[in-house]
Amino acid sequence: MKAKRHKVLVANRGEIAIRIVNACLKLGLDFVCVHTREDHASGHVRLAREMGGEKSLYRVASYHDASELLAVADAAGATAVHPGYGFFAEDFRFARRVVTRDRPLTWIGPSWRVIRELGDKINTKRLARRLNVPTVPGSDRPIYDELEAEDMAAKLFAFQSEQGFDQHVVLVKASAGGGGMGIEEVERIDVFKSVYRRLRNYAKRQFLDEGVLIEQRLFGFNHLEVQILGDTSGKNVVHFGTRNCSVQSAGRQKRIEVAPGFAPAEINYRFDAARVLNDITEYSLRIAREVCYDSVGTWEWIVTPKGEPFLMEVNTRIQVENGVSGAIAAIGGIGPVDLVAEQIRVALGEPLGYDQGRIGLKGASIEYRIIAEDPDNRFAPWVGRIERFDWRREPWLTVHSHVPTDTPYEIPTEYDPNLALAIVTGQDLAEAKARGLAFLDGLVLAGRNAGGGELKSNVDFLRKKTDTLLVF
Amino acid sequence: MEIEKQIQRLQDRLSYIRDIFGPKDNPNRQLLEARLGEFLARGNGLSLAEQVRQVTQLEDLFRFLEKKLDAELTPMDRVRIVRHPQRMCLKDILENVYDNYSEIGGQDEYSIDPSMLIARAYISRRVGKKVHNQPVMVIGQEKGHGQEFRNGGSVKPWGNDKALKYMRVAQTENIPIHAFIFTPGAYPVEDYPGAAQQIARNLYEMAGLTVPIVAVFSEGGSGGAEAIGLADYRLMLSHGYYSVISPEGAAAIEGKTRQGQRVAPELIEACARQLKMTAADNKAMGYVDQVIQEPPLGARPDDYEFFKLLRGELIRATNQVILSVRGLKFFRAMALSRKSKAAAAAVDPESVFVRWSIGSGPRELLAWRRWIKFRGLAQAAYLDRRTTAQKIFSIGQDLAWSLNSFFRYEFLGKHRKKLERFVEEMEAEARVVKDKVAAPVVKIGRRLGVGGNSQLAEAERDSLTKLSNPEAGTCLTDESWAYLSPRARTDRAVTCPNAATHGCLDLWAPDLFGDFAGVCSHCGHHFPMEYEWYLYNVFDQASIHEFNREIEAGNPLSYPGFDQKLAEAKEKTGLKSACMTFEARINGLNLVVALLAAPFRGGTVGAAEGEKFIRAVERAKKKHYPLLAYVHGTAGIRIQEGVNGVIQMPRCTMAVRNYIEAGGLYLVLYDTNSYAGPVASFLGCSPYQFAIRSANIGFAGPGVIKETTGIDIPPDYHLAHQALTRGHIQGIWDRREARKNIYQALLTMGGRNLYYR
Repeated sequence: MKAKRHKVLVANRGEIAIRIVNACLKLGLDFVCVHTREDHASGHVRLAREMGGEKSLYRVASYHDASELLAVADAAGATAVHPGYGFFAEDFRFARRVVTRDRPLTWIGPSWRVIRELGDKINTKRLARRLNVPTVPGSDRPIYDELEAEDMAAKLFAFQSEQGFDQHVVLVKASAGGGGMGIEEVERIDVFKSVYRRLRNYAKRQFLDEGVLIEQRLFGFNHLEVQILGDTSGKNVVHFGTRNCSVQSAGRQKRIEVAPGFAPAEINYRFDAARVLNDITEYSLRIAREVCYDSVGTWEWIVTPKGEPFLMEVNTRIQVENGVSGAIAAIGGIGPVDLVAEQIRVALGEPLGYDQGRIGLKGASIEYRIIAEDPDNRFAPWVGRIERFDWRREPWLTVHSHVPTDTPYEIPTEYDPNLALAIVTGQDLAEAKARGLAFLDGLVLAGRNAGGGELKSNVDFLRKKTDTLLVF
Repeated sequence: MEIEKQIQRLQDRLSYIRDIFGPKDNPNRQLLEARLGEFLARGNGLSLAEQVRQVTQLEDLFRFLEKKLDAELTPMDRVRIVRHPQRMCLKDILENVYDNYSEIGGQDEYSIDPSMLIARAYISRRVGKKVHNQPVMVIGQEKGHGQEFRNGGSVKPWGNDKALKYMRVAQTENIPIHAFIFTPGAYPVEDYPGAAQQIARNLYEMAGLTVPIVAVFSEGGSGGAEAIGLADYRLMLSHGYYSVISPEGAAAIEGKTRQGQRVAPELIEACARQLKMTAADNKAMGYVDQVIQEPPLGARPDDYEFFKLLRGELIRATNQVILSVRGLKFFRAMALSRKSKAAAAAVDPESVFVRWSIGSGPRELLAWRRWIKFRGLAQAAYLDRRTTAQKIFSIGQDLAWSLNSFFRYEFLGKHRKKLERFVEEMEAEARVVKDKVAAPVVKIGRRLGVGGNSQLAEAERDSLTKLSNPEAGTCLTDESWAYLSPRARTDRAVTCPNAATHGCLDLWAPDLFGDFAGVCSHCGHHFPMEYEWYLYNVFDQASIHEFNREIEAGNPLSYPGFDQKLAEAKEKTGLKSACMTFEARINGLNLVVALLAAPFRGGTVGAAEGEKFIRAVERAKKKHYPLLAYVHGTAGIRIQEGVNGVIQMPRCTMAVRNYIEAGGLYLVLYDTNSYAGPVASFLGCSPYQFAIRSANIGFAGPGVIKETTGIDIPPDYHLAHQALTRGHIQGIWDRREARKNIYQALLTMGGRNLYYR
């Protein structure tokens, strides 16, 4: 079926690089990995060396240098690029460069047009609104009129109290701003006008454009996701259920992900949870079909305490937590599903080969992100040397990690301190929770830093949170 | 003793001839050398009478041969004459032409700039029984017979500033200005107030001075000469030169020599000839009004006859300028008219008295006449390819615009304002009445509508979550540039020049020159961009209407080889001159734009460019449109056009002044390298100058600065942010925000008399 044997450049590091290499091996594809000097001991380097030999490994100065990565692709004769997540995954310019350069490569991910269209939040919001998909209430274009802005802010405060949020915050953003510049929070409507004027003047001076966006910051909502997959025809779009990613660190980074998004069979909700899951799936598919979505992607949703869903944004890439969706899914009765492999398969031109009807979703799955950090100290990362790292192997457990279990490992300070992803599955949520606790109890993780301090990890935090998973 | 002095003088004359004619073989010089040598060899053995006789003979021979030599002077010989330390200088003129004077603004080396000399001088004469003391402001460069601190008459920016200050004093005192130009060129440093910007300021002010200005050119080197040379009447000494650039400078450019290399003397000679820089050439082209004959081989400090002649011509010229704008002058004007030479020679200018202070009416007229005079210059130096029908049509169009704008802005404008005010008042009255009447109805309505609903009404909810402005489309942010640089179609990585210091990653050319508009996404470095980028990305789509495209750059001096170079430039760029003038819109606001395009001969300005620029200014003035000079790049005045190019500096500046005085808004935007003449005149005089971050702005490039001043300048010397620090520009813009910034400028800056105000 394939005219030539593809070779995939794995333009990433760590856990996702390992998963991509494994998917390539499963699909019978060649691969080439890159690594930096700091990452020489990482698991993906060892795996690549083991499975592909030295010729499948290139050292680069930075994972961020597009020219260098593509030079590696040319030197190694790669035909496709997998960006993983982070780095270039959602950079439409890089995707465009990969496919339009003089020696074009296959981009394993959504086409650059889709990345560009859905990468812009305002754009996504307007697209969703056009398709009657609910989005977070607020402006979907820059506002230049003071009365209009104030009116919108007043309505947002009314909305927040109606939805039962206890903290009310409206955001005023300079529409031309970015990178955290030109954002102000307003907690009461009577100070709105002065904040608005200050920000408008700032925006006019700084960005020569006095347009502002009126948005809101919500608290105490649940963060749900819908996993989407489409092939390059853009016509076949399917979903792999929902996830709940509401357990997050202080910096709003996910720590536990659960599939499915709610468990109406086991937990009582104040709203019709099954319907919410159904709705967000339908809405997500609606947008995916509209833009001819052609890879894996995640639609992120906010669900308010009253059970109203609002689209937040779309992540046009494979996500860290794709494993939990894969774990509860089966195609034609065969599971679990390797979404990374599916992504590569369709990107190389194969049709999807199945429809929604053949995708079964059964049971529950929990993913723990095991990280060396201090949850009591605002999740400050811990840096040092891991001396022991091990767990009991179980049939219901998958651990993705680039950290070796047989030798000590120095955590590189250059990258995020994620150590492992542990995916636990069960017949239902209760079983998955019980197995999750069993796994965490049996986990061995010890180390010391340069000052002789004990390793700090988030394992206790994860254990504590397991009890109340999916309760809302 | 007398005889020895005479011999000494002869020896001096011989060495002067040697200096002028250089080492070349010259039979006349050799003859003089031989004769003088013979005489000196025999000298002491002869009787005194015999010595006197032979010296007298020798003197005759010298006089004869000097005349002969004078007839065969090459342009380069003239350059050597004006640069010779023995050439009379401004101090000699002050001593010999004026009756009394005192130096002001410093003396000798105790001056802010000793190469610029200012004096309040008097011309006293007896006409009839009355003695008239007439004050004038004398301004000029002082070469000082080789005094080191005079810097050869190369005036620093603050020296030109000093000149401007005393021109203003003359204006206040209502006395004429006599400007004497003895400069090889301005001292090209950018220290405040900046060589280019100060010359521009001088030109702008002189364009509006309402006192008579008479200029005398001895050595007129380019920008430095223009700084004080914008005059009502321009006299030129017969052995002087007036040129766009020194012959050495032209030769260095022609021969494409690198810094420190020597240029072949033959090439310098050739350039001096080709640049048509002599008094006769300039008189023929109309850039000077009159040539004053100097004694053979040029005037030296003891040529008293010459000074007398100069004094007469200065008085005559000043009188003539004043009479041209004043009533009650008939006979005196006729007496001064130079139409018949014989008649003129018969009248001694000293005997005709004209009061040199003038009333306010004629003063305004003076500036206007100066403009008319300069407007008419260089008309033969460009190619006008319009047909007669087109010319007639454009005259008609001009007339129609004039009429239209008169009716719209002068006639109706006042009445419309009154009407608007009346309508406004009436509306306010009506509103009060309406509210009073409607109040009870509103009250009842409020009582009926039951309040206290904590739920958000459906409609309110919708306003938060439904698509607003659906007609605007879904994609608000899908902006791509309307024009893409051809460099955006090459698959290569570009390294930012700041990579070493700022750690910028290499950028892919299609991203850099496409999406990023040539701006490094890491450090903001601006790569130069094609001018087309601005045409398509700054102005409203399809709003550009080009005019005067038929005016083409020509080769007025028949400079050898230049026709071909011009043809190549036209072929390569598709342009007919470096200046493109068009009307366009930004967010619906009309404006006139004059663009200097760097690809056409470096964006140099010659007669065609100047004429097009002036016509664009006039069009903007007539239509009450704002005017944008967008300088994609300019290397200066086009040297191959000689004075035809230089004269564009005062011409364009005067046009700009008229426009600004009439209430227009003149914006200048520099994009890449913008240097020399244009910046030192019609660009630098704008009160609103801005730069794209990629710009370099200055008077002379690093090579020229090194060569003329010996100063090694730092590499960032001309960068936009330095120009901002020095106060030469008013802001630095990101290229991607050029449109937004221009629009903002149109709304907020300048101009009481724009059509949309």
